[in-house]
Amino acid sequence: MALQSSTALARRPQSFTQNWSAYAFLTPALIILFLSLLLPAAATVVMSLTDISFLRPTNFVWFDNYIKLVSDSRFRQAVGNTAYYTVGVTLPTMALGLLAAVALNGKLRGRIVFRTIFYLPVLTSLIAAAVVWMYVYEPYSGPINGTLTQLGLPPQPWLQSPNLAMTSLIVMAIWRDFGTAMIIYLAGLQDIPKDIYEAARLDGAKTKDIFFRITVPMLSNVTFYLMIILIVQTFQVFGAIYVMTNGGPLGSTETIVFQMYQTAFGYTEFGYAAAMSTVLFLAILLFSIIGTKIMRRGES
Amino acid sequence: MAELQLQNVSKTYGTFEAVKDVSLAIEDGEFAVFVGPSGCGKSTLLRLIAGLDPVSAGTVAIGDKDMTARQAGERPVAMVFQSYALYPHMSVFENIAFPLQMERRSKADIREQVAKAAATVQLTTRLQDKPNKLSGGQRQRVAIARAIVRKPEIFLMDEPLSNLDAALRMEMRSELTQLHKRLGSTMVYVTHDQLEAMTMADRIVVLNAGKVEQVGKPMDLYHRPANLFVAGFIGSPPMNFLAAKVTGLEGGTVLLEVPGVGQVALPGDASGFTVGGDATIGIRPEAIATAAPTEPALSLSITPRTVERLGLHTIVYGEQGGRTLTALFNGDPVIAADAPLGVYVPLQQIHLFDAAGQARGHRD
Repeated sequence: MALQSSTALARRPQSFTQNWSAYAFLTPALIILFLSLLLPAAATVVMSLTDISFLRPTNFVWFDNYIKLVSDSRFRQAVGNTAYYTVGVTLPTMALGLLAAVALNGKLRGRIVFRTIFYLPVLTSLIAAAVVWMYVYEPYSGPINGTLTQLGLPPQPWLQSPNLAMTSLIVMAIWRDFGTAMIIYLAGLQDIPKDIYEAARLDGAKTKDIFFRITVPMLSNVTFYLMIILIVQTFQVFGAIYVMTNGGPLGSTETIVFQMYQTAFGYTEFGYAAAMSTVLFLAILLFSIIGTKIMRRGES
Repeated sequence: MAELQLQNVSKTYGTFEAVKDVSLAIEDGEFAVFVGPSGCGKSTLLRLIAGLDPVSAGTVAIGDKDMTARQAGERPVAMVFQSYALYPHMSVFENIAFPLQMERRSKADIREQVAKAAATVQLTTRLQDKPNKLSGGQRQRVAIARAIVRKPEIFLMDEPLSNLDAALRMEMRSELTQLHKRLGSTMVYVTHDQLEAMTMADRIVVLNAGKVEQVGKPMDLYHRPANLFVAGFIGSPPMNFLAAKVTGLEGGTVLLEVPGVGQVALPGDASGFTVGGDATIGIRPEAIATAAPTEPALSLSITPRTVERLGLHTIVYGEQGGRTLTALFNGDPVIAADAPLGVYVPLQQIHLFDAAGQARGHRD
């Protein structure tokens, strides 16, 4: 009986007075979190229900901004562009990151140098990288078109053509992000015991079998984690577009965040931009929840 | 099933020689155990047989075929790892089926073979479970089933019981011995535990610092160890060693002066000794008795410092001539700690080693 009550006591959550010092230590962080994250987020949701702008008095319009979003063809184009960019960056970045990690996980000579080289773009300033890539894509004096011309092929308007601009941005993003994927995959690979690979070799598995039957499935949690962070990151792409294409040509590189920025700070339609922001937030939240649930199921 | 032949096998890592010029023949259907302390090269030797590491010199042959240049998966061997090395994302069925899938067998054949192997290791009801749902012993059984299903000519086992608790280890020891009898396959088993080696092996290969110290049946190694290393490694508690000086050689008898004991005359091969040279005598703890035997015996007085009563046996750690002697007595005799105790060792049971540590007077 005495044992039962002591166990029950141990399991009961401790009261505020018992934990006051823990709460006291948490308070500064909670205040910063509230002011910098929760308050603006809540304010954004409230703003999305208004027509707030510098141009007129503010009125509550309730869900009018959301209704307008559904029928806004420009927004739909931005959603399409964002989805194209997300898929275009996420899948090749993960594939290249995995291949680089597998190649550099072995006893390859100079692997440390290669790992550093592949990771360097991640450490480069986005703006600096964007400026360099603008030169790389330069239609007249850029190295890509220079090489094409030397090979007798026609030069391409990489950032000036609505058909090529988004793909060009995707290529740059892959170059910049696959180092992150490689490092995360490398950490995952080093967690796979050597014995398992040796057992597979003894079981007669060839390199291809080992990769697809052992390595890839055993990295599934890493893959889901990486996919979620890449999706969340690419959903919010802005910097490279702002510097390299400004959303053009013909809105072909206009993504949700870029359009949100233009709507808010170009057209001063803060209420409408806030509605876009809320939709984006909910989409990211949804992906995060789905990803976390899949990862947890994998772990169990 | 086939015999295994190792000819002058060596393995070096940089300047470190892990395996030194090992030549060995393991017969068809034999249960051979490689035993030795950590770092003696026993697991390396097993990996060389499996093809997981290439040999630096020498040849590995299975049956009458040279396997030295063949990759791991191309050799007719299966291996059970200490860590089990199960594929954690696959079910028990998929784990056992994996080697067959790699051979591109038909689904019906795979189902049949897996069912047979699972029945052999009593895992039929757990086929759909993932390895993390199984106990240590069950995981080891999956690893064994995965090896069985390949129908290898030689089973290689790298300390397969080390991760199990004592009770389960004992159970699995017996199961593996039974399995060997049932399958009749050649098995090479690596362990650092001399108890496992003694209880399971048809023949034991004792390794030390990359070299084979002695090969023989368990009782041969116990009764006739070739040198000090084997004498100290085989047997538990380990053999007592007493340093001695050779004072005379008379035909087949070696006269010794053992500090703290006195003059001892032991039958032995005198060719290994010189008068005035060093020698070592070895006394197994179980050769020490409290009652005087009828045969000629060495008489000693020890002062028990620690007495460990195990029920079936009593182990006494006693002081004798400034050193510690271990004695093992049957049952639970009355022994008082710190009081001198007269004990006897039949001369016939004393082992004699020359200055180089080689046995010169084999006992029975």
